[in-house]
Amino acid sequence: MTEYSRLAKGFFTSTGAAQVIKLPFQPDAVEMWNYSSYGTPAQHGVPYAYWDVNMGQGFAVEQVFNATPVLTTDTVTTNGISTFAAGQLLQYGAQLQIASITKANPAVVTTGSAHGLKSGDVVILSGLYQSSTTGMQQIAGMPFTVTVTGATTFTIPWNTNQSNYTALSGSPTGAFMRKVLYPYLYFPGTSVISAITTGTTTTVTTTAAHNFVVGQEVAFRIPTIWGTYQLNSLPNSVVPGSPIYGYVVSVTDYHTVVVNINSTAFTAYNSNQVFASFSGEFFPQIVAVGDVNTGGVQISANSPLYPSPYLVPIGTTQVSTINGPAILGSYVNNTSQGFVIGAGAGTNDASSVLVGANGNVIYWRAFLHDMSVPF
Amino acid sequence: MSITTTGNLGPMILQSLAPAMLYVPTPTMNYITVCDKVSMPTSGGTTCRFMRPRALIPPTIQLGNAGIDPPAQVPQRDIIDAQMAFFGTGCIINEQVILQDQEGVLAWVSERLAVAMRQAEDLILRDYIVSAASQINAGGGSNGDNPTNLGISDFSLVATTLDTNNAYKFMSGIEGMDRFGTGPVRSAYFMLSSTELQTDFDALVGSGFLSQWNYPTNASALPSEYGSVFNVRILTSSEAPVARQASANGGDVYYNTVLGKQAITHINQDGYSMNLIYRDPYYSGMLAQNATLAVKFAQAQAITQDTAIRNLLSTRLANLSP
Repeated sequence: MTEYSRLAKGFFTSTGAAQVIKLPFQPDAVEMWNYSSYGTPAQHGVPYAYWDVNMGQGFAVEQVFNATPVLTTDTVTTNGISTFAAGQLLQYGAQLQIASITKANPAVVTTGSAHGLKSGDVVILSGLYQSSTTGMQQIAGMPFTVTVTGATTFTIPWNTNQSNYTALSGSPTGAFMRKVLYPYLYFPGTSVISAITTGTTTTVTTTAAHNFVVGQEVAFRIPTIWGTYQLNSLPNSVVPGSPIYGYVVSVTDYHTVVVNINSTAFTAYNSNQVFASFSGEFFPQIVAVGDVNTGGVQISANSPLYPSPYLVPIGTTQVSTINGPAILGSYVNNTSQGFVIGAGAGTNDASSVLVGANGNVIYWRAFLHDMSVPF
Repeated sequence: MSITTTGNLGPMILQSLAPAMLYVPTPTMNYITVCDKVSMPTSGGTTCRFMRPRALIPPTIQLGNAGIDPPAQVPQRDIIDAQMAFFGTGCIINEQVILQDQEGVLAWVSERLAVAMRQAEDLILRDYIVSAASQINAGGGSNGDNPTNLGISDFSLVATTLDTNNAYKFMSGIEGMDRFGTGPVRSAYFMLSSTELQTDFDALVGSGFLSQWNYPTNASALPSEYGSVFNVRILTSSEAPVARQASANGGDVYYNTVLGKQAITHINQDGYSMNLIYRDPYYSGMLAQNATLAVKFAQAQAITQDTAIRNLLSTRLANLSP
């Protein structure tokens, strides 16, 4: 072994879902030990697994406890261990047939086979025709953060229980979902709006994580047919040429923020778009503008935003990047590479889970070798 | 009598390297071309901070004769930060290669590293724009998808949007000349598109698309410029972003970035936009002598005028295999 090989080790506590490990390289071999499974042998437990790049992406060999429990051997051929490079644009998972989508709030999507998603993943949907003139094409192409409710079901944060939406059923031809593999290469960015509550402040809900922090300056791009177009950052009539911006005064959760703009007199938001108008429709968006600013609103000396973002106590809310902590609100490069330990099952023991159960402590070691035989 | 040929003569070295290397297919790098360039100073920290003053309210109302001054205005400013990141790659070359190989391995590896680095600069900007710039779906096309293929009205809409936002155009117009088949070119924003869309642009000839070849003069045209529509001049590249099967009907979605001046800024640190690092072969083991060639660069990027950039998303008129 010479100076050019790479070694890394670490551990994590499993959530039961696929675990992403970021490294400065993409390994060609990975080992993992499930400390919890070693400590408490039980059927389906996977105490040890190994992956080599020559096995293929998503494969692994593993040891599995049988019913006795005694260790046996098995292989994983789907959702095993794989490498990734998030920094190569617009990567999507495989197309998966949609069996049905309910007319509900939130809408429930059922796939034709196991989707393999975890809550927080982002998907896009396409081909949402129930007939040539009915369905849910209005939301096709939008990025949605999913909440997983079952192996073949998840919800999307959109109200389809409205008059212009027709439920999908019977696995319509061409109706697919795809996972957006790396939705946040750079953030904050642009988010599609699913709902707006008008008032003295404006509450905005997005279809996927907005990645905003308090003080983030924002602009709106809302086509007239979606209502609430008055929020748009058009040139100010009082200050000609100066765009109208708002800023985030509180973050409710990953997809809801409150913006300082008084929208009391604005038109109500309308997500009940007409099916027939989907072609060429573009989606209402909230966009990050620069950093922690005030949207042009004068601030007082006692404001927590004063005097500058550098002095805001960022504490635990700071955004970490591979280069270290970032200034709140600054554009963050979130590209990365490394490997993923998937939640795939064994070929023989379909109830085993490579990444272990929720709470399991996993130790891992990753290698990138100088030399691999045969060359 | 037998004739001696290379076929019946004993083995010998019968190879000769052609004098010129074959070209390596390389896409045009449009994103780095159209962005503003800023350099952070050395020891200047990790983050480049941009400041944009807010416009003050123009005093259009007469003061009257009360002798009382109007209230003062408070100047406001917007802050935009871009955090520097480092990128790099390299090759390890054993000294046997350098000793034995007949052509300049180090020379062409250096050249390839430099090109890889320049491509990285461009791709990073591309991915950042896709992530952070707001989007307009094309709706002027006829393919019934969402977004549609590019229609003539889409160019009008996006240019109108940028004009309304008081964006600066990149190019002044080209006056018409008395030459058959040519037409004047308007002052223009740039649109960065995929080469795969060139058939769609060709389909707009007669509707408003003017091929670069039909400009009155090509003096101000960029090498990757395919043509223009209204106030938009189109640069194409094979590396322009495409989201495969991502449209409403499952078609490919193309990200056509339309932008004015100062919309995107590329930042380096102290001119550290590229550093070619060569290390002579040295003993890294009992016998091993390896040289290394590497490139490293520092880059940050920011949307510095969000009002002057839009991703105009489109599909294609027909899915042709390029």
